[in-house]
Amino acid sequence: MKKVKTLSNNTLKNTMKNGGCGECQTSCQSACKTSCTVGNQSCENSGR
Amino acid sequence: MIHQYKNNGYDIIMDVNSGAVHVVDDVVYDAVALLSKAMPELEEPGDIPGELEAQVRDSLSGTYDPREIEDALEDIQELINREELFAKDVYHDYVVDFKKRKTVVKALCLHIAHDCNLACRYCFAEEGEYHGRRALMSFEVGRKALDFLIANSGSRRNLEVDFFGGEPLMNWEVVKQLVEYGRSQEESHGKRFRFTLTTNGVLLNDEVMEFCNREMSNVVLSLDGRKEVNDRMRPFRKGAGSYDLIVPKFQKFAESRNQTNYYVRGTFTRNNLDFSKDVLHFADLGFKQMSIEPVVASPDELYAIREEDLPQILEEYDKLAVEYIKRQKEGRGFNFFHFMIDLNQGPCVAKRLSGCGSGTEYLAVTPWGDLYPCHQFVGQEGFLLGNVDEGITNEKVREEFKLCNVYAKEKCRDCFARFYCSGGCAANSYHFHGSITDAYDIGCEMQKKRIECSIMIKAALAE
Repeated sequence: MKKVKTLSNNTLKNTMKNGGCGECQTSCQSACKTSCTVGNQSCENSGR
Repeated sequence: MIHQYKNNGYDIIMDVNSGAVHVVDDVVYDAVALLSKAMPELEEPGDIPGELEAQVRDSLSGTYDPREIEDALEDIQELINREELFAKDVYHDYVVDFKKRKTVVKALCLHIAHDCNLACRYCFAEEGEYHGRRALMSFEVGRKALDFLIANSGSRRNLEVDFFGGEPLMNWEVVKQLVEYGRSQEESHGKRFRFTLTTNGVLLNDEVMEFCNREMSNVVLSLDGRKEVNDRMRPFRKGAGSYDLIVPKFQKFAESRNQTNYYVRGTFTRNNLDFSKDVLHFADLGFKQMSIEPVVASPDELYAIREEDLPQILEEYDKLAVEYIKRQKEGRGFNFFHFMIDLNQGPCVAKRLSGCGSGTEYLAVTPWGDLYPCHQFVGQEGFLLGNVDEGITNEKVREEFKLCNVYAKEKCRDCFARFYCSGGCAANSYHFHGSITDAYDIGCEMQKKRIECSIMIKAALAE
């Protein structure tokens, strides 16, 4: 494409198949404690 | 749903429902803005309707060369074909079903000490006492909490336990005993504990650091930034500032952890709306991992953030983002918690839409073993869920938290940030609106700006 640089592809829909394993970190256990920041965490499901 | 914005010279388009993020030129940016007024959300790829294409050509012909407009329309069609533009939200039923699944507990916030050796003015725990009495958790209560966690964690292997307070180092021996107990249970139950510690640093010493470096997967070190900012809000009980005592210890601790797996974490208030200087102060002190969060306080507190402060706060995030990029490119970068975003291997959609897990997979435990939905609800009797002896007995409150997801929140339905903030903090929502399915509006505005900055930073660093 000439005019578009994609930083992130369509990924959310694909995660419906193998997502939800729950092994990732709970957001408030990282550093926040007073907000909710989920999008910055990494998935720990290598088979996703 | 499309969200598009310009920041620091970048034109960014977020296709919210697919999770795709694009950096585009002005022609595509303007064309998508026009199309998004009339384009339906697409479950499957389809062609842009001819009349909409004609409208784009007509509207933009006075500004751009016709060839440029055709190229833009071609690129937009390709994004639609890849399901990366105008994608439909197909997650509602999936997430509602997901939240109905049997609940497991995977994380505990252990209030190991309801006591503190500082008297921070904004403390939601009221100098560690949480609207109650001073108390230290006994090993026995802590052991029961870990047993409860193991027994209720189903097939989850990774279990998280945060030693929180008050100030957890005021009950350090019990922390060590509980870590030892947790480790002794791992193999026989097929679990792995990730212990973390949140501390104000007053009692930090070599022995604590050595133990934490061996056993704690993360440590959160509380400090607010510049000396005058920190000492104003984080004094000792008799009024002296804490900065001089704490900073050298935190610097040593961070180095001893190879500048990883820790956060220096501060709170900004109305007293330091120029908080980007505090973040940069952390960086100048040599810290590489940091977070500074807005205070959450009753509106009648003088230090509480007000709606009228938002323009300055949002500008601070923009300023910080620009400096963040500059330092990254100069090879002296640092990591700011709220600018972290994982665009490619981030959380699955189930996690993004189901909320932070408070009241279900994440619980707080008081020194005497009561269970609450999270640390911010501790001491509010209406939210008491049960205790470590009997488990969850208040099914009504648990059910309320279980059904709390992004789609249960009216304000989140049309918000572009919902896949990143997961509907926001239930405690903040409750404190400002009396309901966990509302949203703390000032917090939302800041969250949205942080997401925009995070993505812009990715664009800048991808060049």
